[in-house]
Amino acid sequence: MIKVSNLSKRIGDVQALNDLSFVAQNGQITGLLGPNGAGKTTCLRTIFGLLKPDNGKAEIEGIDVAIDPIGAKQQLGLFPDPFGLYERLTPREYIRYFAELSGLSPKEAKEATSQVIAKLRLEDISDRRCKGFSQGQRMKTALAQAIVHSPSNIILDEPTRGLDVMSTRLLRDILIDLKNQGHCVLFSSHVMQEVAALCDQVIVMAQGRVVAIGSPTELCIQTGKDSLEEAFIQLIGTDEGIAA
Amino acid sequence: MIDSMTHRKLSKTAQRPSPTRPRHGATNATWCTRILSTRMLSISALMLAMASTTTWASDVKSQQTQAADIARNMANNTDTCYVEGVSDRLNCGFVTVPENPNKPDGKQIQVHYVVLPAVKNVNHEEALLAIAGGPGQSAIDNATGFDAMLSKVRQQRDILLIDQRGTGRSNLLTCDEGAQSPLSFDDDNADTLAETQKCLAKIDADVTQYGSLNAIKDFEAVRQHLGYKKLHVYGISYGTRMAQLYMRLYPAHLATVTLDGIVPMQQSVLEIGASIDRGFDLLFKDCQETTACHAQFPELKAEFDQVAASLAKAPVMENVYDPVTGEKTMLTMTRGKFYGSIRMALYQANVRALVPHAIHQAAKHNFQPILGLYSLTIDNAGMAMGMHASVVCGEDMHRITPAMREQAQHSFMGKTMLEGLEATCEVWKVPAVDDSFSEPISSDIPTLLLSGEIDPATPPSWGELAMEKLTNAKHFVAPYATHGVAYQSCANNLIADLVRSGSVKDLDGECLKKDVRRSFYLNASSVEPLDATGTKTITTDDNASTGAKE
Amino acid sequence: MNKIMAMVRKELIDAARDKRSVMAGLYYAIGTPLIMCGLFMVLIGQLTSPDDLKITITNPDKAPDLVRFLSNKGINSGEAKDSELKAIELIISTDYAAQMNQGKGAEITIVADNSNEKLQNSIRRLEKQLQSYSTEMGSLRLIARGIDPRVMQPLKVNVHDQATSDSKGGMILGIAIFTMIYSVFISGMNLAIDTSAGERERNSLALLLSHPLTTRQLVLSKIIAVSLFALLGLVLILLVSKIAYTFVPWQELGFSVNITTEFMALMLVVGIPVALMAACLQLFVSFMAKTFKEAQSYLTMVLFVPLALSMAASYNIAPDMLQWLPVSGQQQALMDFIKGKDLPMLQLLVSTLGTLAIAVLLAFGMERSLKSEKVIFGL
Repeated sequence: MIKVSNLSKRIGDVQALNDLSFVAQNGQITGLLGPNGAGKTTCLRTIFGLLKPDNGKAEIEGIDVAIDPIGAKQQLGLFPDPFGLYERLTPREYIRYFAELSGLSPKEAKEATSQVIAKLRLEDISDRRCKGFSQGQRMKTALAQAIVHSPSNIILDEPTRGLDVMSTRLLRDILIDLKNQGHCVLFSSHVMQEVAALCDQVIVMAQGRVVAIGSPTELCIQTGKDSLEEAFIQLIGTDEGIAA
Repeated sequence: MIDSMTHRKLSKTAQRPSPTRPRHGATNATWCTRILSTRMLSISALMLAMASTTTWASDVKSQQTQAADIARNMANNTDTCYVEGVSDRLNCGFVTVPENPNKPDGKQIQVHYVVLPAVKNVNHEEALLAIAGGPGQSAIDNATGFDAMLSKVRQQRDILLIDQRGTGRSNLLTCDEGAQSPLSFDDDNADTLAETQKCLAKIDADVTQYGSLNAIKDFEAVRQHLGYKKLHVYGISYGTRMAQLYMRLYPAHLATVTLDGIVPMQQSVLEIGASIDRGFDLLFKDCQETTACHAQFPELKAEFDQVAASLAKAPVMENVYDPVTGEKTMLTMTRGKFYGSIRMALYQANVRALVPHAIHQAAKHNFQPILGLYSLTIDNAGMAMGMHASVVCGEDMHRITPAMREQAQHSFMGKTMLEGLEATCEVWKVPAVDDSFSEPISSDIPTLLLSGEIDPATPPSWGELAMEKLTNAKHFVAPYATHGVAYQSCANNLIADLVRSGSVKDLDGECLKKDVRRSFYLNASSVEPLDATGTKTITTDDNASTGAKE
Repeated sequence: MNKIMAMVRKELIDAARDKRSVMAGLYYAIGTPLIMCGLFMVLIGQLTSPDDLKITITNPDKAPDLVRFLSNKGINSGEAKDSELKAIELIISTDYAAQMNQGKGAEITIVADNSNEKLQNSIRRLEKQLQSYSTEMGSLRLIARGIDPRVMQPLKVNVHDQATSDSKGGMILGIAIFTMIYSVFISGMNLAIDTSAGERERNSLALLLSHPLTTRQLVLSKIIAVSLFALLGLVLILLVSKIAYTFVPWQELGFSVNITTEFMALMLVVGIPVALMAACLQLFVSFMAKTFKEAQSYLTMVLFVPLALSMAASYNIAPDMLQWLPVSGQQQALMDFIKGKDLPMLQLLVSTLGTLAIAVLLAFGMERSLKSEKVIFGL
């Protein structure tokens, strides 16, 4: 469970986060939807403790990130945007490296790496260096890294960006799988269909604030629109920055 | 197989009269046959040592002082020290050995050594042992000469110098000078016996224990002490006898051997008289065959005989200025001094060049040049005459045959030296070595033999004798070299090659043939004949003045 | 601790596969001693006077004895077309014999460019031999007049040179030690940039920091990795130097340059704090820079300081204070050691502690800065 309470953060002249509060529950996929510049990435970075909020706090499984960053982050898996691959390492080395950094012993890390490689069907590329990988291969590697240590909470920053249909579908299956296992999945996106198809709960953000929270259906009802897209435009008051 | 080569190079050390050079005496190991009192030495010492030559240019420091110099560093057997004429830091030390090897608990003496460390040591298990002549010269006192001559060897290997027992710092056996001035002393009528007895009385040592056979044991003890597995040996003059003994007794520890100015084991050094006469004859021949010299001194041999004969009748007594102090003093010019001065002058090519002029002047009753040459011999090449006697009386005296005695009667030098030594040995009473001592050395150690064609002490024929049973040796004769070929030719490079390669196979003596003769002095100032230049202008203006006077 | 180990291992694997890091570090370590040896070999060849020195002698027939004397010392008259002919001319005056016969100074003129370093040794050698010939004749002239030539030597100067054959090579060794210290800075530099500025540029820094590890662990592991790389470079240059320097004929210059095992051990021990400081400095600067390129240019400027210290010490032009400062202090201590002097323990200790203090300060600075958003995201 990820809980964000009254987060405010100013970066330069911009109020990136403005009294932001929401909860992402275990066993649910929560989508953070907003136009470019709405503060989605800032929000996620704050949850990871990379940014210090001016106000408010982020908690993971009840652990305040500001007070016990290590304990809190132990509960997290991150699928970043961009992926941050090490081009000279193989996926196996890469995944295992982060497994160890997430607190697994070398032995555990090795086993968990093999498992996640099997799970994501990475075997054919697992011992090649990452340099020259396709976007889909990169995504899978990054995803494997995010889930190798079976974190209870997984955060994905714009996970589908640049992916082809097959990769997107694979990602979707994995996320649903994770949800079914009881994980809390939180991802940011500005792609309507994806959010509509996957999310149990959608948090619509604009200019650093939550403008609405609810399931896609609830949002449509709330705004009286037929599609989530229409509802979204209604909610943020402009069509700026929306990808259809 | 004598490669006869001619070439004489002035050894840097031995031959150069430069006042800045300390003596290299070691190189000119001449056997001084005449033993004991310093004054007689100039005439009869065997002088199998490097010529006293260098002495002229350099000051002769009393050996006691030098010993003290080093001594302060010797508390701990091996230490850093300096020796005269070498600015580098050296390693000095000594081993303690019984004076008489048969009485190991008896009197102990110290045998001192100096190591000139290699510039870049490529082989810590090897060193070159350089053995001085005499007998009686100190190897350490001659460090400068060895250092210069062996500089190429030293780039990669240590040079080891040992003061042989009875010389230098190793229980020096020497005799005080008599009270009389060497200039006025009449050596032709000296009482050698009495002088020798006086000397022996003052020596605190068992003089029978200072022969070559005991000394070679000391050398071996030093080698063991320093931990060298193999030695390259360079022996000069009498030092070649030591080197040959080393070959005979400890062949396993020798890598290569160089014998320079060779005294073969079969030879009694007392036969040096004939060598000296040969040296004189070669000088007369040389002058006669040189246009300028012959033109200037057409009757040289006759003049020499005339002076010798006249001095034999009675020495010339005249007032002169002392060569060193410049004070008026009485010079007694005897036949012995006349012969001795010229004999010693023949050891060095550059001094030898002055001899025709000196003889010619003497014939004109001007003994100044002879006096100058004589002054060079007074210190006797720094030889320890007590040790000299111990060696010669034990190892050479008994080998004199009636035939040699007969022959000596025809030679002034031979006769004088024989008489002097007989008197000395009568006092010294050293038992003779076994006959086996005189057997030729049989060895397959790579050995380089060097002889100088005009050597007045150890002629090339002696080197040939030493070759008799050497199966891995080459004998080169340098046509223009006197005594101590390595000091006056490219032979020092040959030694460096030998040490580096460990074989005589590739040694080529061609370079020894280089013409390095020194022109004879035609007067007291010049070696260059006026006529030869074709220009008789002595103008000081014109060309001459433009160049030199800014 | 496990995490640090994991990170160090990853950094080393990563760096080992990075041609740029490897080449920068290792090519330097291997190449420098080789190039230096090559240069010195050429230099020695040029500086030493050849065994057979060929010069131009004008009017050799006026002084045949002198010409033979010089020839015996390896100084010969060469043909004009001879490539080994040195640009030195010895002119014997046409009045040589006449002047000699009168007991006057016979004129000899040397024509040569004394500022030409390649000739200096040869010129000195010629002068020395002429002097020697002159002295010899002078002595013989005195003898011919019945005077002992030793009276011409009123002073006898004994020189007790305290140098050892090792210490005579001090300047060369100073340069050699400088190249070794330089290798510590060079070998790890690319890795330092790659693992900091490069990590951020590749967006992996934020990912790394999103994991449950402290910035201290991160900083330590990077310092260790860079230091190890720097020390690897040092080990390499020591090994290569040890072998390569033996091929240079130093003895022709009258000294030896000997990289002993003891020296290598000391250099390594002394090198560890230097490597740590170098790593901290390079990482600190690179983290401050926004991009790889920027880091490179900053570092070039910053590294000038320790290298200038080292160089000053190696040329012995430095004020005494330098022996107390980081880097130069160690360099001087190493030079003393190789010259066979006692190690200046106090100075070595002070400079080493200074080095470590700088390293620790920089490490703390880095730890703090990595908590700053600006540094993490390169804002």
